[in-house]
Amino acid sequence: MWLPLLGLLFGISLGLLTDIEIPIVYESYLSIAVLAALDTIFGGIRAQLQQVYDDHVFVTGFFFNIALAAGLAFLGVHLGVDLYLAAVFAFGVRLFQNIAIIRRILLSKWNDKKAKKSEETVQ
Amino acid sequence: MTKQQASKKRQSVKHQFAFLIVSIVLGFLFSYAYNTAKTKDNTMIEINSSDFERKEQLRENLIVQQERNKELEEEKLQLQQKIKDYEQDFSGSKEGSRNLVKQADNLRLMLGKIPGQGSGVTVTLQDAEYNPKSVNPNDYIVHESHVFKVLNELKISGAQAIAINGHRLEANSYIKCNGPVITIDDDQFPAPFIIEAVGDPKVLSAGLTLAGGVYDQLIDDNIVVVIDSSKELIMPAVQGNS
Repeated sequence: MWLPLLGLLFGISLGLLTDIEIPIVYESYLSIAVLAALDTIFGGIRAQLQQVYDDHVFVTGFFFNIALAAGLAFLGVHLGVDLYLAAVFAFGVRLFQNIAIIRRILLSKWNDKKAKKSEETVQ
Repeated sequence: MTKQQASKKRQSVKHQFAFLIVSIVLGFLFSYAYNTAKTKDNTMIEINSSDFERKEQLRENLIVQQERNKELEEEKLQLQQKIKDYEQDFSGSKEGSRNLVKQADNLRLMLGKIPGQGSGVTVTLQDAEYNPKSVNPNDYIVHESHVFKVLNELKISGAQAIAINGHRLEANSYIKCNGPVITIDDDQFPAPFIIEAVGDPKVLSAGLTLAGGVYDQLIDDNIVVVIDSSKELIMPAVQGNS
């Protein structure tokens, strides 16, 4: 459990300490990669709560989504179509949906717990 | 049994490793994006404010300097007038030096130190109408060589003072072709070019309209030329550092 947390801290410090400036042209790629990463993380949490979580799906999805989003943005720039907007839209919608599902699952769990407790007290 | 446990353990290590990589990448992405957004904001604000202030200051300096230049110019003209008055007084008292004063006046006129005034001609050079058949726009715009031709002819014909678009030419003036405009003594002027020359209008216009002369050459080059003789031309003194 502590290993991923350590990795997160390591990654954050690495990102804060790097002084490489990327050209403005590639900033949209970065933002879209961040969005893809966020989407995958929340997707993983949702899957865990729904008990359909799979390690391979999660890890491959994480990297594949980032690469796909960046590739789509790249293609869009070269075709003159704002394809990265499509990625932003898709990831944004999915992010909201995932978070909504997580919230509902947590809420129902909490309600179940409360019902059980009240049953116990009644007995 | 132990074999199964071992393989399970190996798998869990594998998973942990994958998680480690994912979390490192995640952390890096987030903080890096945060960093870039922050630095971009900072630099933009800094550039905007400092640039703006500096521009404003420089503009104010420029205005002050220009006003000072104008004042000094006026002072100079006044002083020259004074000198002229003195000289006239002098010539009134001494008959013999009148010639000298006249010569000095003429020389000053030629150098452009005093405003020129008198009858003369006005030559207007204008680009021809856009011609769709002609591929090269150079074929119908006024070049500095055309201006030179007119100037040379005017000087040969005895023009005493010449101004282009209100800019008085002096002995060491230069004219340079600069794309669609020409540069005269660091100032840019677009077409049409109005060349004013003080002198005998008859001689000047006759010189320009000699058969096969400047006028005909300019017409050949598709330039719209208008020659006007005028009775009273006033041209400013040379401005700037002289």
